[in-house]
Amino acid sequence: MRSLVFIVAAAFLLTPAGPAAAAGQHGQPELPATRAHMPATSSCAQCHTCDKPTAAEPCLVNCPRHGGHFYGSHDVGEGPDVVVIGQLANLYKPVVFSHKLHAVMADMNGGCTNCHHYSEQSGVIPPCRECHAVDRQDADLSMPALKGAYHRQCINCHLDWSGEGSCSYCHEESGSAAGAVVHDPTDIVGIQHPKIEAVETYTYETSYADGPVVTFHHADHVEMFGQACVDCHQGDSCKRCHHGENQAAVPRTLDHVASCYTCHAERDCGFCHRQESTPRFDHARSTGFDLKDYHGGVSCQTCHSTPDHFRTPSSRCGDCHIHWEVGNFDHALTGLKLDDIHVEVDCTSCHAGGDYNRTPSCTDCHDEPMLPKQWPGTGPRTKM
Amino acid sequence: MVTRRDFFKITGTAAGTAAVALAGVETAQARPALDPDRMGVLCDFTFCIGCRRCEYACAGENGLPQGALESYDDKSLLEKTRRPDRQTFTVINRYPALAGQSGSLDVKVNCLHCEHPACVSACPVSALVKNARGPVTYDASRCIGCRYCMVACPFQIPAYEYNEPLTPRVMKCTLCSDRILAEGGIPACVEICPAETMVYGTRDALLKVAHDRIRNHPGRYVDHVYGEYEAGGTSWLYLCDRSFQEVDLPAVANQSPAEVTEAIQHGIFRGFTGPLMVFILTSVILKSAGKGPGQAREDKHE
Repeated sequence: MRSLVFIVAAAFLLTPAGPAAAAGQHGQPELPATRAHMPATSSCAQCHTCDKPTAAEPCLVNCPRHGGHFYGSHDVGEGPDVVVIGQLANLYKPVVFSHKLHAVMADMNGGCTNCHHYSEQSGVIPPCRECHAVDRQDADLSMPALKGAYHRQCINCHLDWSGEGSCSYCHEESGSAAGAVVHDPTDIVGIQHPKIEAVETYTYETSYADGPVVTFHHADHVEMFGQACVDCHQGDSCKRCHHGENQAAVPRTLDHVASCYTCHAERDCGFCHRQESTPRFDHARSTGFDLKDYHGGVSCQTCHSTPDHFRTPSSRCGDCHIHWEVGNFDHALTGLKLDDIHVEVDCTSCHAGGDYNRTPSCTDCHDEPMLPKQWPGTGPRTKM
Repeated sequence: MVTRRDFFKITGTAAGTAAVALAGVETAQARPALDPDRMGVLCDFTFCIGCRRCEYACAGENGLPQGALESYDDKSLLEKTRRPDRQTFTVINRYPALAGQSGSLDVKVNCLHCEHPACVSACPVSALVKNARGPVTYDASRCIGCRYCMVACPFQIPAYEYNEPLTPRVMKCTLCSDRILAEGGIPACVEICPAETMVYGTRDALLKVAHDRIRNHPGRYVDHVYGEYEAGGTSWLYLCDRSFQEVDLPAVANQSPAEVTEAIQHGIFRGFTGPLMVFILTSVILKSAGKGPGQAREDKHE
């Protein structure tokens, strides 16, 4: 036993010392408390151009790539219609990129920042090549060269929704045979996404016993209620439409109809869940107010300015037509052109209480014996 | 009195203790130091587009059977899981998109060029060597075909030319050592990749880039750089949007398998100390064991 103790003791003596303490870390630069330094990246030179940046003179490079440096609000219409990328003229014909098409569709998911991860403080978006060098930069491994940057932007999305990843999808070889498609930038200036042929009405069978059928009139929402795609399709990618498979398999959850609540917040279940499918919206049938000629062409929001207003619509013309008064209303629009005497009469003198739905009678003002043979005006009811 | 069972217990413990005691000293001396600026490749699976251009370039660079470039457009191969073999040093495998996300994931598989390679440790003739600059290189003229390297590799990468009866070779990615050890060269797969899925640089710089990406794009990656610590660290580093085991990269210990085996082997035999101790111990035991029964016999006579 004594020999065993000896061996164990010897083993401990022979054991080498543990690893030395970890090497000291390069400290974060000290900045005033009000200005936090960004998380440390690969090297100082990634963001600073000088050796010793200070809070007063940080000498920041033009194009920091991280942290969402995208300034200013940009509108889809601002950008160019097409961008012709011709850096590889020796190998390929220029790539014609339909910028507007992408910008419009990207509005539904991420917007400009999908591709433009940086803009200057002034809002100016520099071209990719301003930061991404044509050749690989061994000095800065964190930034892809121009080729990698372009390809990452395009191919990952296109592979995803169209399965297209071949070179020829974008590049056409300079020496390609005659007969191949030749991109002419002027052909597709202002190219838009083709009109989306949406289904007019969706009818869903649900497990809700009291109202298993949900009818959604897509056409009503787009054409009649003036909803923009992005109002409901927020976050949708190209793949939602361009994948062609098992869209029906996408489970319909309450999340799926979250956008409905934006307008239909206070509706109960029965508003959507019915025993059978419902017809498209008809203002006359649903509300008893026929829009007829003049109101038919007016957007819903013109009269119903807020969602609440849909529930308590006014039937009093004056509630909307507040600017109508003697002198600026062409009474002939109603089919009756007032004569010189009556045109000067205050509206409410004839339309008692501002109730314009009721056609006034002469006897409202005049004694019966004094009634003229004709109405105080001329002209049949005419359309504008 | 020492029984037979006790004898084995004591000698076994002694040998093991000696091995562990000597391990650290021994391995540090046995391995040549790696270059602090040794090179590596950071491969970001989330950028891979599965174009298989790397397979094409690799085949050409290494004199392997190489089809026409167009033949690599066949994406049906991506659907089944492939492994590198004697004719293919690198393969791309495709994995379906994560639930609720779009986009499949393409994963490049090849030799990771361990920092402390088990294959090099296992090779009895030093046909496989870890170059201080990064690559694990193979010298076919030294190889005796024992294939210990194939058994030792925790990633099961080396393949063997069983079809070559006279001059079989162990086949695996070379990290294009001929190219990169010459000034300014980069591996063929890195060079051809159109999406810059791979970045070639010093391993230290690549680790920083990898961790920056994870920090700057939360949600895009799992917070794990595969190869930073796996099997004692590897020259290839991987970034992924899901657990690496989901893309069939093995969960290997952070300690190199070579470190464990070398600790035992080198420890036991270093300076003959271990065997000598066992010899002394055995002598002591045998001596005392011989005395015991003898006394007993004497007692019996009395």
